[in-house]
Amino acid sequence: MNINRRKFHKASGAVLLAYAVGGDLLLLSPAKPQEQKVPYQILTEEEAGLLELLSEAIVPDAQKSGISHYIDHQLAAPKADNMLILKYLGVPHPQVNFYRQALLAFKKSCPLFQKKNITDVTASELQDYVKLMIQQNPPDWHDAPPAPFFYFTLRSDAIDVTYGTMEGFSKLNIPYMAHIEPAGKGWA
Amino acid sequence: MTSNKNSPPNITLKKCDVVIVGAGAAGSLLAAGLAQSGKTTVILEAGPERKLSDLVSSGLHSRKLKWFGSPVEESGDKPIGNNFNSGYGTGGSALHHFAVWPRLHEEDFQMKSLYNRGLDWPLTYHELRPYYDRIQKQLGISGDKMAEIWRPKGAKYPMDPVPTLAQGEVIARGFKKLGRKTAPLPMAINTDEYNGRDPCIWDGWCDAGCPTGALANPLVTTLPEALKNGALIRHNATVCQILTNDKGDKATGVIYIDADGQRIMQPAKLVILAAFAVQTPRLMLLSANDAHPNGLSNQNGLVGKYLMSHTAGLIYGLFDEETQCYLGAAGGQLLNQDHYDQKDKRAKGFGSFQWMIAQATKPNDLLGFAGSNTALFGDALTNFMKKAAHGFATMTACVEDLPVKENHVRLSENTDNHGLPLAHTHHNSHPDSKALWHASLEDGKSVFKAAGAAEIWTGPEGAMHIMGGTVMGKDAKRSVTDSYGKCHEIDNLFIAGSGLFPTSGGVNPTFTVHALSLRAADFIKENWSNLT
Ligand SMILES: Cc1cc2nc3c(=O)[nH]c(=O)nc-3n(C[C@H](O)[C@H](O)[C@H](O)COP(=O)(O)OP(=O)(O)OC[C@H]3O[C@@H](n4cnc5c(N)ncnc54)[C@H](O)[C@@H]3O)c2cc1C
Repeated sequence: MNINRRKFHKASGAVLLAYAVGGDLLLLSPAKPQEQKVPYQILTEEEAGLLELLSEAIVPDAQKSGISHYIDHQLAAPKADNMLILKYLGVPHPQVNFYRQALLAFKKSCPLFQKKNITDVTASELQDYVKLMIQQNPPDWHDAPPAPFFYFTLRSDAIDVTYGTMEGFSKLNIPYMAHIEPAGKGWA
Repeated sequence: MTSNKNSPPNITLKKCDVVIVGAGAAGSLLAAGLAQSGKTTVILEAGPERKLSDLVSSGLHSRKLKWFGSPVEESGDKPIGNNFNSGYGTGGSALHHFAVWPRLHEEDFQMKSLYNRGLDWPLTYHELRPYYDRIQKQLGISGDKMAEIWRPKGAKYPMDPVPTLAQGEVIARGFKKLGRKTAPLPMAINTDEYNGRDPCIWDGWCDAGCPTGALANPLVTTLPEALKNGALIRHNATVCQILTNDKGDKATGVIYIDADGQRIMQPAKLVILAAFAVQTPRLMLLSANDAHPNGLSNQNGLVGKYLMSHTAGLIYGLFDEETQCYLGAAGGQLLNQDHYDQKDKRAKGFGSFQWMIAQATKPNDLLGFAGSNTALFGDALTNFMKKAAHGFATMTACVEDLPVKENHVRLSENTDNHGLPLAHTHHNSHPDSKALWHASLEDGKSVFKAAGAAEIWTGPEGAMHIMGGTVMGKDAKRSVTDSYGKCHEIDNLFIAGSGLFPTSGGVNPTFTVHALSLRAADFIKENWSNLT
C-alpha cells in the first residue's frame, strides 16, 4: 500500500529560534539569524566560525542552515528546553564546555590553521582531517572530549538543522506530515 | 539546595490512602484502578506536566520528553542508555514509547527451571494471561492473532492489524523467499476508533509522542481515568525518601522535593514505587534507616541487582524502489519470532529475539536514516541522504539480555543538586546475549539479501528498554518482591513497572508492565485491610 494523500510541505516556518529584540519576541528559523548576523549569546565569533567550518565539512549545507546559531541557542536555553542530542549521550547540562573544549582542540590540531587564517580555510580542504577524527584524536587534540565522539555529536547536530526541519524534509523531497507543526513553537 | 535526610519536612500534608511515585505506564494504571475503588490516591511525578499540545512532531522537540532529572552515571561495556531510554514528566517513558506490545512467551517465565539460566518468575504465563487479555481489551491493541503463529494462547486482538506499507512489503519479500512468515506487529495503536480515541494516520511521529490519541500512552488512557476517579497528580515533585515506622515493617509515606526546593511529607497508608528501573532502586537505597540499614527491604542485598536492557540488532538496507520509509509507526509494521522458543538450541548464544520490521524512519535523530551510517560525511553523505529518503529500509531485533547480579544500580559517591547520591548503573553484555546479537545480525542480513537490497549494513550494539533492578520472585532470599510487586520486608510497600522483571525475554516490555500492574491493583484492592 502506498500513501500519497498529503501534499509536501513547502512551509518556510520550520523550527524556530526565539530572540528577544527590542522588547519583542522575534521568531526566526535557524538559517535567518545567520543571514541577519544576530549576535551569539554563548559562542564567540571565532568559536562560531570554527563550528561552521567543521560542520560544513561533515554535513554540506549545515552552515547555511544555521548550525552555529542553533547550537548557540541551545546552549543558552534552560535545561527543560534543551534539544541537543548530547542530552542523551551522557553529557550533563550545561554542555558549553563540551563544544568549547572540542573547538579549541580542533583549532590547535588542524594543520591547515598553521598556514592560513580560519576564515580562509574551506570545508572541502578538511576532508582528510575529518577522516582522521572519525578514527582517533588527531595529533595535538588535547583537553577535550574524544575527537570521534565530537565528530558523532557535531554530525548529528548538523543533520538536525540541515535535514531535521520542514525545509530539510522538502530538500529531500519527502513529506513532513506533522500532527502538530513545529512552526510557531520557539526553541526557547 | 541540599536535602538533608534528617531535616524535618517544611510541610506535612494530609494522609492519603495511596501515594504513587511516578506517572508513567505502571503508576498511571495503578492510580486509575485504585482511585476507582475509592482509595484517595496521590501521584507524585518528578518531571513537568505534559499536555497533548506539547507533543510537537519533530525529532528535535521529542528530546524535551527525555529524562532530565538527577543525572544517571553509566559504566560497563553495554551501558543502558538511560537518557535515551527514559522519559520524564506526565506519562513517563510511555508517553513517547512506540507501543509495540507483544506478549512474553511461556518459557520466558521459567528460565531457571527449564534451562538453569537466569531466574524464574514467581508466576506463569497462564497466571498472567487473563491480565494480558483484559489490558488489550481495555486499552486496545491492533493485530492478527492467527498470523502470529508464534504467539502464546490468548484472546483475539480487539482491532484489525496495522497496515503493511511499501517498506514492510519490501522486507516481507525477503522473509518469504526464505520460506519464513511475517505477521502484523501487535501494537497499542488504533486502526479503528477505539474507546473514543481516533485511528492512526501512519505519519511516523510516535517518537515525539502521539498527540492524536491513536497510540495508547498514559495521557489518553489510564491517567485521565485516574483523574476522573479522583486521583490527584503533582508535577515537579521528586520523591527523595520513603518513610517507615521505627520497626521498619510498614511504610508511612514519602518525602518529596517540590519545584521551590521545599521538602514535603506525604503520609500514606500504602506506597507504590513506579519510578522505572533505575530511580526505584535508587530511592530504596536512598531511604536506608535504622530498621533497613542497607536500603529498604534490602536484607539480601538484591535491590538494584539484575539490571537488564535488550540489545537492538539493527539492519539497514538501500533498495532501488520507493520504500516510503518515513511512513507507518515508529515501532514498525511487521513481526517475526522464528525460533523464539528455541533458546537453548541456537547455533550461537542463548536466548530469544524477535524482528520488528519496517520502522517509520525520518532523516535525523539517533534512529534516523542519517544516523544509520555515521562514517558517511561530506558529499558522500549528501548523496546517501537523497537515496535513503526514497529507498531506505530497516528492521530491528529485540535481543534477550540474560540477567546477572553483576549488572546493577547503586548509589554513586557523586550527588545531585539536592545533595542526594546519584544512581550509578553498570551493565556488561552477557557473552551469550552478545553471541545471540551477532547471530541476529547474520539472520537479518540474509533476509535483506533475499529481499534484494542493493546495499546492506548493520548498526552498533545499542541498548533498548530498561528492566530489572527490583526483581520479583517466590523466594524472599533471592528477590525483592513477590509476584504482586509487594516488597518482602514491608507489606504496604509495592513496586510496579519493568524493574520487577526477573528475565527480559526477547520482546518489548510494556504490555507485560500493564498486565502485572493490573494484577497488582486487583490484589491491593482485595487485600486492602491486611496490607495497611
Ligand atoms: C523511545 C522509546 C520507545 C519505546 N518503545 C517501546 C515499545 O515499542 N514497546 C514497549 O513495550 N516499550 C517501549 N518502550 C519502553 C517503555 O516506555 C517502558 O517499558 C515503560 O514506560 C516503563 O513503564 P514504567 O511505568 O516502569 O516507567 P515510566 O513509564 O518511565 O514512568 C516512570 C516515571 O517515574 C518518574 N520518576 C522517576 N523518579 C521519580 C522520583 N524520584 N519521584 C517522582 N517521580 C519519579 C519519571 O519521571 C517517569 O515519569 C520505549 C521507551 C522509549 C524511551
